[in-house]
Amino acid sequence: MFKSLLIILHYEILTTLRQAYSWLTPVLFFIIVVCLFPLAIGPDSTLLNKMAPGIIWVAALLAVLISIGNLFKQDAHDGSLDSMLLSQHSLTLLVFCKILSHWITHCLPLILISPILGILLQLNNQQELTLIITLFLGTPVFILLGAIGSGLIVGIRAHGLLLPILIMPFYIPVLIFGTSSLIAVAQNQPLSAYYAIMGALLLLSLAFAPLFTAFALKIGVDQ
Amino acid sequence: MKLIAENIGYERNFQNLFANVNFELKKKECIIIRGANGCGKSTLLRILAGLIRPITGNIFWNDKSIIEDKDYQHEIHYLGHQNGVKPYLTVEENIHLNSTLAGFKILNIDTLLQTLNLLSVRNKKSQYLSAGQLRRLAFAKIMAFPRKLWILDEPTTALDTEGQRLFDDMLQSHLSHDGMAIITSHMNEISDTHKTLILGDNNV
Repeated sequence: MFKSLLIILHYEILTTLRQAYSWLTPVLFFIIVVCLFPLAIGPDSTLLNKMAPGIIWVAALLAVLISIGNLFKQDAHDGSLDSMLLSQHSLTLLVFCKILSHWITHCLPLILISPILGILLQLNNQQELTLIITLFLGTPVFILLGAIGSGLIVGIRAHGLLLPILIMPFYIPVLIFGTSSLIAVAQNQPLSAYYAIMGALLLLSLAFAPLFTAFALKIGVDQ
Repeated sequence: MKLIAENIGYERNFQNLFANVNFELKKKECIIIRGANGCGKSTLLRILAGLIRPITGNIFWNDKSIIEDKDYQHEIHYLGHQNGVKPYLTVEENIHLNSTLAGFKILNIDTLLQTLNLLSVRNKKSQYLSAGQLRRLAFAKIMAFPRKLWILDEPTTALDTEGQRLFDDMLQSHLSHDGMAIITSHMNEISDTHKTLILGDNNV
C-alpha cells in the first residue's frame, strides 16, 4: 500500500518535471514580481524592509494561485482522473499524493529562492530564517485549500477567475500571520505564537483538505 | 454474476437525455449500445461505471446497488473517450502507473507490449504516439490485469483493420473466460452476435 503510493507520487513528480513550463512558471512569476518592487520603489532600504513581508507573501500567494487551477485539469483532460476515481486505493490518499507532488514541484523551488530575494528587499538574517520557516508552514496550506477549489471546478471548462474568488478568502489568515511574523521579528517580539498558529492551520488543512478535495472531485466530475 | 439496470434516466440542462433504460447482463454476454451522436451513450457508460449518478433508476451488481457496493468499481475496466494515458509518461510508465493504481503488479509486460505491437515504442513518451497507438496503449492497460466487466466507449475508434481484429480477439477471449462487456459503437464493425441496445428506443 505504502509502496504503491510512493510509486504514484514518483510518477506524479516525474510528469510535472517533464513539463518545465508547469513548475517554472510560478517560481519565475515569484522572482519577477519581487524583483520589480525595489526597482519601482527605489533604493530606500528602510521602506523596502518595511514592505518586504507584504511583497514576498503576496507574490508567493499569487504564484501558488496561478498554478493550483491546473492541479486536476490535465488529468481530467486526458482521462486519467477516471482511473484515479476507480482506483483500488482511497481517493483521499491519491489526492494527498497529488497535493504533495504539487507542493514539491511548485512551492519548494519558491521557498529555496526566497532568501536570495530577501536580500534584495533588505531582510536581516533573523527575518530570512523566519521567512523560510513560515513559507514552509504557509505554502502547503495554500496548496491544500486550493486543491478543494480545484476539485470543485474540474468539470467546468471556462472557469476564469472562479477559483481565486472561491479560495482567496481562506488564504487571508495565512497571509496575515505570515507577514505579521516577519514584522514581529523586526520589532524583536517573540515568534512562537505565530509559528503555533500557522502550524495549527497547516495541521487542520492537512487533516481535512484531502478528504474534502476527494469529495469535491466526485461532485466535480458528476456534471 | 450479473448486472441489472433498472429504469435508468438522466437529464442534462433540465432536458431528458434518456429515460427508462433497462437491461440485464450475465456472464459471457456483451451488450452493444448504439445510437445517434449526442443521445447519451457515453453518459450511460459513465453511469454504469459509477462515475455519475443517474437521475432515476438503479444499477445492481450481483443484486447489490452499485452505490452501496464499494467493491463494484474494482471489478470493472472503464475506458472512456479519452484513453486515460498521461502524455508525459512513456508507454511502459503509463501501464505501470495504471496497474499500481488498480493494485496489481504486472509480471510480463514484454508479452503484453508484443501482443499489442507496442514493443518498439515502449520507452517513447505517449504524447508522441499516434491516435491508434494511444488506443492500443489503452487496451494494454485493460489487458494488463483481469476484470470481470469491461465498459468501453467506442473502443475501435482510430484503429486500423489489424487493431480492430486484435480488439475482436481480446473481446472474444474475455467473454469466453466468463467475462462481461458493455460497449458503445456507432459503427457495425463489432460482431452482430451480441445483444444490442439502441438508445432513444430503449429496446434490448
